[in-house]
Amino acid sequence: MKLMNINLEKLIPESLDSVSPMERRSFLKMGLVITGVFAGGRIFSVVSNVNEAFASSTDFVEKYPYSPHYSMVIRQGLCIDCEQCLQACKETNSVPDYGYRTRILTKTVSDAIGRQREFIPILCNHCNDAPCTRACPTKATYKNEVNGVVMMNSKKCIGCKMCILACPYEARYYNAERRAIDKCNFCYDTRISKGEKLTACSYVCPTGARIFGDISDPENVVYSMVHQIEKQVWVLRPESGTKPNVFYMKATRSSPWDLRKQAGAR
Amino acid sequence: MKRIALLLLAALLVSLYFYGNVAVAEEDEEHGGDIIYTKPLKAVIFSHKAHTEDIGLECDWCHEETFEMEALYMQENTDFTMESLCNENYCGTCHNGDISFSTTTQCARCHIGVKGYNELVRQGKIEPEEGDVIQVEGGGH
Amino acid sequence: MIKKIKSETAERWGYMGIQSLIDSGNYFYVFAVIGVVALAGFAVGLHGTFTGYHHVYGVTRQVPWGVLISAYIFCVVTSTGLCLVSSIGHVFGYEPYMPIAKRAVFLSIVFMLGGFTIIFFDVENPFRMPIYNALSPNFTSNMWWMGTLYTLYLLALIVEYFFLLDQNHSMSRLAGLLGVIFGVAAHSNLGAVFGMLHGREFWYGPYMPIYFIVSAMMSGGAAIIFFSCLAWKIDRTVLTRRMERGIKAVCQLTILLIAIILFFTFWKIISGIVAPEKYIAIKAFISGPYAPHFWIAEVGLGLIVPFVLLIRSEGINTNLMFAATGFMMVGIFFMRYDLVLAGQIVPVFHAMHVEEYNSLLHYMPSFHEIAVVVAGLSFSAALFMLGEKVLNAHKFQKHAIVPPGAFICPGCGGIHYKKEGESEEDALRRHHRMRKVDREDEHA
Ligand code: HEC
Ligand code: HEC
Ligand code: HEC
Repeated sequence: MKLMNINLEKLIPESLDSVSPMERRSFLKMGLVITGVFAGGRIFSVVSNVNEAFASSTDFVEKYPYSPHYSMVIRQGLCIDCEQCLQACKETNSVPDYGYRTRILTKTVSDAIGRQREFIPILCNHCNDAPCTRACPTKATYKNEVNGVVMMNSKKCIGCKMCILACPYEARYYNAERRAIDKCNFCYDTRISKGEKLTACSYVCPTGARIFGDISDPENVVYSMVHQIEKQVWVLRPESGTKPNVFYMKATRSSPWDLRKQAGAR
Repeated sequence: MKRIALLLLAALLVSLYFYGNVAVAEEDEEHGGDIIYTKPLKAVIFSHKAHTEDIGLECDWCHEETFEMEALYMQENTDFTMESLCNENYCGTCHNGDISFSTTTQCARCHIGVKGYNELVRQGKIEPEEGDVIQVEGGGH
Repeated sequence: MIKKIKSETAERWGYMGIQSLIDSGNYFYVFAVIGVVALAGFAVGLHGTFTGYHHVYGVTRQVPWGVLISAYIFCVVTSTGLCLVSSIGHVFGYEPYMPIAKRAVFLSIVFMLGGFTIIFFDVENPFRMPIYNALSPNFTSNMWWMGTLYTLYLLALIVEYFFLLDQNHSMSRLAGLLGVIFGVAAHSNLGAVFGMLHGREFWYGPYMPIYFIVSAMMSGGAAIIFFSCLAWKIDRTVLTRRMERGIKAVCQLTILLIAIILFFTFWKIISGIVAPEKYIAIKAFISGPYAPHFWIAEVGLGLIVPFVLLIRSEGINTNLMFAATGFMMVGIFFMRYDLVLAGQIVPVFHAMHVEEYNSLLHYMPSFHEIAVVVAGLSFSAALFMLGEKVLNAHKFQKHAIVPPGAFICPGCGGIHYKKEGESEEDALRRHHRMRKVDREDEHA
């Protein structure tokens, strides 16, 4: 890990092209599986260790600590800020007006040619090394042991707001109706545990900007999106070392239009 | 001498400024201004200024057969979707990657999103629709 | 019989009865006003509890910790400092510090209670706290340790104070030692609450715990001087020769600690300037919107002015010391406020250059928050005033008659008995379990 960071620091920030396939390959040779590159220019989130790197594809799967290991891929270029996801999230999870579990940020690059605007959805990153679960005094927030979703046990929450402060993604807020901190749980209680395949936001997303799935399953769309060596995949704030499970990538599409949406979405 | 020259220059600049303003105001009357589509999705911007003044397209290019001279007319059509745009209908007649950038790229250039829409409402440039909740960004406890 | 025991205890404890407060004329009215202010503050706080804090507090999701946490930290820092500085005397046996012990430990408890009152109005579900702290502890959480250690610390302080009152100095020393241990653990852990947030560049690192302990000692020194001078203004008989000596010693220590904190602050800024992530926050404080806080309140009132005044007072001029430490108390409050805000004003997504987070975040304490802080602080002030009158200004019991074979200890002021052939000095050392110095060796 340490060695890794030193090398990464040298990369030029903000340039997505700063990591060549060659470099990526050499990282793989170092025994580290890259799951992404951050817009800040750093490769991050190493999910495996030396022993497992060159193992067969089944071992490859094992490096993900959960099964199913729920993750989301945000195809950043596709978000058009229609905010259907925010609406669906609010309705599905009864999020009050003063709060949100997910949000869309706007990035404007005024000297870019052509499109100058970009919408960036953010949500809880369900980190493998979640700072919030370490910070919580009463284990009111915890990692689900099976699927790695960071969940809330509302009745244990004392409302100290330590986790809000600990979270590098600003994914948490205090919900007065629940008398507890509230956050995205990949719709675990409202949809996934009831047999639905997608979270509310990825279900309604008309452009397929939010792809939800199980990254530990090679058959899964999330797996195949993240594990492509020629695509840049990154996470937010890699310097926090939280090993997030929400991945970002640039994407534009080619016709026909329908392929864009994730299978099973509305 | 120099002073007079400066004064003249200033006067020229001031008059140019006002002339410019008047010109813009008149132009606004001439073409259809900005049109914001909200169906099926919020929100897409079409700017007459960008298409006529900036690029120099003639009115006939569009108003001959492609578009009506009535704002939000085509929004009522059920096939006013990305799929038909990709099949070179409506905006897609030009935004096909040939004449202009394709509808399969640069999504956020046409799509200003709910944020862009709310911002325009806030600036008073468009009337909010019924049931709109314009939230102040950055709030939330 | 019972009455007699009662009055004996009362005498030993220096308990003067509530009547002594009520009869104190103007003093009582001041006390009453402060008490009413505290009650009014509580009422406003409770109003907030029932309407919901998110309606009435200025804190947001982006800046979840505001002036309440700052005030809480101010209180517990002062409490720990009082405990640590006074422990030099009555726990570790350095005689000049001994006379300050009683008031210091009392104030230590008072500030702790003030701090807990404030945090009560910050935590959303305070009643769940003890339950789930016990039922579902998370040992990796600094917050859990904070609650637990401060509770233990408060208990140790109370036991210590009981034995101090009871003039049982070996027990008070033991409890005091526990208090110091829990205090240091609790307080450095409070630093770690901030220092272990690796998502927050400004706080992250081992600096916080260290800084917290040192600045606690500084606040403690300031508080002892401030309240002793105040007590002296209330009752002139408080400032005995022994107290004078004690205050002088504390003053010297405080000057040293201010110097240390000055250089802590200096290096924090210098190192922050070269780190890109910290720079934004540092800049907000040295030249941005928080510059008046930082330069005038924190550095000026909190450090430089008292530094000069305390040196000039030479530990003797009580007026100068009173002014200096009064400024310090204000300055230190801002120090805590700045510390809490500095780690939060830079948005977590700042490096992404998104429109929503391209400027510093803003926080302004609301009326309710200020009212709760005022409630907590005036609650502490009222307790202080109560203590000065009801507990005989924390003086040690006056001994009219010294029994044969006994003497008044110059350290603790209690009565010690000499063994046969023992000098007063030796008896003092035995009583306070200090090591005997072998004089002959010394001379040789
Ligand atoms: C790039 C294509 C394009 C060009 C060039 C263009 N228009 Fe339009 N115009 C449109 C579209 C699209 C609409 C809206 C049609 C709809 O919503 O169904 C529109 C609507 C209008 C309207 C109705 C606006 C309203 O508020 O109801 C007017 C008037 C108009 N155009 C005038 C002009 C004039 C004059 C010019 C030449 C200077 C011009 N247009 C050039 C595309 C164009
Ligand atoms: C007659 C052809 C034509 C049609 C029809 C047309 N456009 Fe364009 N549009 C252009 C051209 C040419 C450009 C300039 C492209 C460039 O700058 O790369 C352009 C640019 C734009 C831009 C970018 C403007 C800017 O300021 O960057 C937007 C947004 C846009 N079009 C939206 C639309 C929408 C929405 C429609 C359908 C209502 C539409 N256009 C229909 C030709 C057309
Ligand atoms: C040339 C401008 C333009 C571009 C570029 C564009 N769109 Fe659209 N889009 C439109 C218009 C016009 C509509 C219909 C009006 C509305 O929905 O407000 C629309 C509607 C949509 C809809 C709702 C209708 C449907 O087909 O389901 C989606 C989803 C959508 N766009 C996604 C995208 C995505 C994703 C991209 C980028 C790959 C994109 N758009 C690029 C103009 C554009």
